[in-house]
Amino acid sequence: MKKEKIDRRNFIKLSSLATGSLAIGFMVPGLKALAIPVTECEFFQPNAYLKIDKKGKVTVYVAKQESGQGVDTALPMIVAEEMDVDFRNVRSEIAPYGTMKAGEHDTGGSQSVMTMYASLRNAGAVAKTMLVAAAAEIWKTDVKNCAADNGEVVNTINMQRIKYGDLVCRAALLPLPKTVSLKNPKDFKLIGKPEKRSNVKDVLTGKAKYGLDIKLDGMLYAVAERCPVLDGTLVSVDDTAARKVPGVIKIVSYTGTGAPMHVRAGVAVIATNTWAAIRAKELLQITWDEGKKNKESTDVLFKTFEAKAGSKPQVPVFNKGDVTKFSGKNEISADYAQPFLAHATIEPMNFVAAAKANSLELWGGLQLPDWAVNTIAEVSGIKKENIKLNLTLMGGAFGRRLHFDFAIEAVKIAQQVDKPVKLMWERTEDILHSMYRPANYHRLTANTAGGKLVSWQHHILGTPVSYMTEGPGSKNFDEVNSADAGFWYDVPNISTGYTPVDININRGWVRSVDICVNTFPIECFIDELAASLKKDPLDFRLSLLENRKDYTFGKEPMLLTQSPARIAGVLKMAADKIGYSNKRKPNHFIGLATHAFIFAKAFAAHAIEIEMLEPWKFTIKRVVAAIDCGLVINPDGLLNQMQGGFVFGLTQALKGEITVKDSRVMQDGFSGYELLRFDEMPPIEILVAASTEEPGGVGEVGVSTVAPALCNALAAAGHRPRTLPIRKAGYSWV
Amino acid sequence: MPAYSLNINNKNYTVEADAEMPLLWVLRDLLDLTGTKYGCGVASCGACTVIIDDNAVFACRRTVGNCVNKKIITIEGLSEDGSHPVQKAWQQAAVPQCGYCQPGQMMSAAALLIKNKRPSEPRDQ
Ligand code: FES
Repeated sequence: MKKEKIDRRNFIKLSSLATGSLAIGFMVPGLKALAIPVTECEFFQPNAYLKIDKKGKVTVYVAKQESGQGVDTALPMIVAEEMDVDFRNVRSEIAPYGTMKAGEHDTGGSQSVMTMYASLRNAGAVAKTMLVAAAAEIWKTDVKNCAADNGEVVNTINMQRIKYGDLVCRAALLPLPKTVSLKNPKDFKLIGKPEKRSNVKDVLTGKAKYGLDIKLDGMLYAVAERCPVLDGTLVSVDDTAARKVPGVIKIVSYTGTGAPMHVRAGVAVIATNTWAAIRAKELLQITWDEGKKNKESTDVLFKTFEAKAGSKPQVPVFNKGDVTKFSGKNEISADYAQPFLAHATIEPMNFVAAAKANSLELWGGLQLPDWAVNTIAEVSGIKKENIKLNLTLMGGAFGRRLHFDFAIEAVKIAQQVDKPVKLMWERTEDILHSMYRPANYHRLTANTAGGKLVSWQHHILGTPVSYMTEGPGSKNFDEVNSADAGFWYDVPNISTGYTPVDININRGWVRSVDICVNTFPIECFIDELAASLKKDPLDFRLSLLENRKDYTFGKEPMLLTQSPARIAGVLKMAADKIGYSNKRKPNHFIGLATHAFIFAKAFAAHAIEIEMLEPWKFTIKRVVAAIDCGLVINPDGLLNQMQGGFVFGLTQALKGEITVKDSRVMQDGFSGYELLRFDEMPPIEILVAASTEEPGGVGEVGVSTVAPALCNALAAAGHRPRTLPIRKAGYSWV
Repeated sequence: MPAYSLNINNKNYTVEADAEMPLLWVLRDLLDLTGTKYGCGVASCGACTVIIDDNAVFACRRTVGNCVNKKIITIEGLSEDGSHPVQKAWQQAAVPQCGYCQPGQMMSAAALLIKNKRPSEPRDQ
């Protein structure tokens, strides 16, 4: 048998074509040496994103972290489309950490499909092109006479066929193509058709392994008691009773960290099982130094917001025209408030770490693993190259795992014991010590003249995330989005600004709503203005949207495009479907709200129909959501995201609230921080705009219009809630 | 520590554990049956649901001492190969997103079907 040599070329080919600016190579698992006979080749891996074996089975390495959003299906679909393989022969695997470009594992901002679309199409097309070239070589014909077709290459002259699997070893010997041609989206067979989640069977049989399911030889289990006040310190711990609990191995303490994660000082019980650790923890006698900022509260925070709302905003955000011209004339003003919120992922935070003198191995879910590893290297004193991270499935994330306080803790604990340790946050800890969506407050003021809206002022008061991650004094304020040039309504005179207020509670990024805090006040206030002008809320919105062209703002690399027409489009879709212009049944009311999540090129609207049962009691009869997110990869995944987004949004509208007293969070579990229950879920219909625009992201756009649409319906019924959650206004629902 | 013999998924296991240890941790930490999930530990989420003697039970609230001489079924034992009607229905409807709570959801649906072969309302508990 002829032994062809595989040289470096046949390993991962470092090509800008295949992998963008991939800086380092990595070993192909399965190929043992640099030079092995081609007959021993097991698979062909032209780039970091995929491999195909001799049976024609394709593995797609998914760079983005799966937490239920469906990247493990949507991203492989993109590869499979360009590769021309049957999706049943495609499986997805978590891309091993370090095999992707810097930043490519990062998962957030609804960016996964958007940022991977081009690379994955390219990756699939490279594989296909090389498989086709391998077939052409065998047939000794020009590649022009060969075409890929569903996992095979066809000789278009004599109609012979070769399966991809039979071509992999030959394809591995070929040079990477300099260029590849991508399919015309019109010819897509897979993209745009609903596909079920690729790991569904593992989930349904209990085999799927989330971070909390990791089990290693000799592994120990830890839970921790954390300082109740952020940035406090440990004074002393008496663990005499705790140490006597059978199964307890060691009790260790660790210090807090300050920014960026504000890991709290803690005492961890390490035991042979979780139960022993939990019992022993309850017996710890700990004295903390809470520091000076231990008397802060949300009561005072909201009073401070209100007191400052009438002053000039500390930071100007967006100005157009001159709002002062109209001061005091036909003026309408309203204040809106939204509380701190927790992510409440169903899988509580957890992380596994195994520490040696000069190295670390880690297991768990992280949405920003590069940042986490860099920070862990600093905190642990272990060189980054000596940290091995194994990423796992996440039982929900919603932004909670963009933060990695729990990972730093696990490392601090593991460094004090000679076995691997799994740190689990109990649910109480998970709600008590989250990275809360900032509490925020808004004063909106507008003037009308001649039946028209002529000026708009928006003062946002908030508790910035950046004060936590970067320190007070940061100028990065996420909460100004949509009150900046992205504000979608066409008003001739606009002035918006932001006033940061600090409080000693950790803050973080939460699905959609940390950068969409302005949807609620804007979409409620626009309804209030329509009412004051005696205009229909839908017509009024459309009059401020429909004549406005798309526009681009911001600076490279964050150029954003706002499309008022697409906002108007989804709004009309939702309104039409719910029968907005039909005569309403008695006691039925419809509320609308719309917005853009322009970071992910997505636009959505909700229409919610309620029936008032009693003056302060309602039921949601119908919900219609409409979305325009460009080309849809997996329609089934899109529906999931819009349904899940609605559940998230309705939880916040009805009952989500974290309150603070003495610098402590007052909710410590699902009983204090309630989520939507099955019997509270109304029927929802989801409409998707047909679009050939580049794909956007759908994880977050369907959240923040829920509360304003509901409040607008309640306002139509008689009483407008301006503070979330609406149960605070005395509403109940069935 | 006392030893308990347990019948889980039609297999017999012996575990040494504190009598008060919840079944949840016996399953997860001592027996590596991690399909049963922890969500709250206080009977408020249902992620830990298993079937004991034909009843849906929160494993986080059932002590190991109270599991002896009972037939315990976990998600791993619902079927050999994912072919239980509930698993098939879940697959058909593509239910899971993150999927973490689904073993618990399916176990409560499976327990319902033991009691009521033809439940009429989807919201019946
Ligand atoms: S873990 Fe939540 S009910 Fe048992």
